[in-house]
Amino acid sequence: MVNSKEESTTKKDLLMVGFLCNWCSYGGADTAGVCRFNQPTDLRIIRIPCTGRMDPLFVVKALIYGADGVLVSGCHPKDCHYNKGNFYARRRLEVLKQFLPFMGIHTDRFRYTWVSSSEGQLWQQVVTEFSETIHGLGPNLGVHGESDAKAAMSFF
Amino acid sequence: MEDKTKTLQREFLKVFEKLEVVLGWEPGYDSLHATPSFIRQAQDLNRLVWNPLCSQNLCTYLVKTLNASVREDDKKIGICVKGCDSRSLVALIQEKFVTRETLYIVGIPCEGTVDWRRLMRLEPSLKDVQEVHIEGNELDVETAQKTYRFPLQHVLEQRCLHCRYPNPIIYDLLIGELITPHASDDQAYGDIEKIEQYSLPDRLKFWEKELDRCIRCYACRNACPLCVCRDSCIAETRSPKWLAQRCDLKEKFFYHMIHAMHLAGRCTECGECERVCPVEIPVTLIKKKLNQIVKELLDYEAGIDPQKQPPLLTFDPSEKGI
Repeated sequence: MVNSKEESTTKKDLLMVGFLCNWCSYGGADTAGVCRFNQPTDLRIIRIPCTGRMDPLFVVKALIYGADGVLVSGCHPKDCHYNKGNFYARRRLEVLKQFLPFMGIHTDRFRYTWVSSSEGQLWQQVVTEFSETIHGLGPNLGVHGESDAKAAMSFF
Repeated sequence: MEDKTKTLQREFLKVFEKLEVVLGWEPGYDSLHATPSFIRQAQDLNRLVWNPLCSQNLCTYLVKTLNASVREDDKKIGICVKGCDSRSLVALIQEKFVTRETLYIVGIPCEGTVDWRRLMRLEPSLKDVQEVHIEGNELDVETAQKTYRFPLQHVLEQRCLHCRYPNPIIYDLLIGELITPHASDDQAYGDIEKIEQYSLPDRLKFWEKELDRCIRCYACRNACPLCVCRDSCIAETRSPKWLAQRCDLKEKFFYHMIHAMHLAGRCTECGECERVCPVEIPVTLIKKKLNQIVKELLDYEAGIDPQKQPPLLTFDPSEKGI
């Protein structure tokens, strides 16, 4: 436990989770790759069918369990493959984004954005900016607290 | 208060043959508690009471116990609602969990309900209580020996101190007279601001400390009139498995986030979650913050207009800035 704590504070690579919609942003990230744009390496991408699939709790769970940042990206509003998925998503995600600071989680650790599949360059820009923000904030220790520390103490 | 109880009983008796069941309150296991009551026979109507101890939100039972959306005969369900309860009822009607036509709603304007835990802290030796009623700004508790008087501010539940809707929003019959709310709209979110004065790490510490007490009894979920997933609550399902059975802070924290996010834009601030919490976690604060965000962002308040739709269940292509 002691070791893992030291590791978590000294690790250089941060871990970010990206939820990308299948039809636009996943394609956009692919375009960026095909065009050989330089991108930060600390984003792990999860493909979702549509941002309408995006349960705000995915973000919450990632942040509570120690992801350093969460990025959600989908089709531009009015360009959704399923017509309205991202209209639902943007309301839910904006509410979540404003709510996180109340629970003590920095609002910049979560970002949602819209990138279409032809916008490889925009994707490069978004992901670079996001990575810089997260590196500025440093590692996220997630939710822990005294009981965890005590439980760990009782083991060692 | 005596006469309101009588009126309640009399009015229900008048229409009882058209009702299948009456949901109200009756005296609980001691005189400081009221308990929900399901009355199916006319001679039992005299068990009904109305006093400042009737704190339960009965709308919870409409969906969870009675399944009020499906009625076989044309008999209705009679239900008593306070101001806050009526908002839950509106929200349930909006989301089509109950139909307005199957209900006979008796609205009771409410001056606040008593938090017996606060009362017992003020006067630990309180026993043999015979009657409890509100007189102006004071609560009178009559015991066999003497009458105690407590300032309302010290014994009411948290939700009642900032209550903006003491009067029922929908009803078929109103018992008593409409009253003016104690709190104005700008006072509504005062307790949130206290937390927002803390820095981010301090807020996290505050919630870690509060939520660490949680024993995950799920009482807050069970008492919530709008937690309607019943057997499919993702806090308990194994597939999908969102939460482990492990007892650690991450799980507790995440459970409360599930409850909060599922109620975003739907919560009517009836305060039941906080009232039933055995370890007194201020859960309503979380819900209130979400309501404030929804109010500012999407200009919507839950449980006011039966015609409207909760904003997170719909969308508007024309909106800008999000």
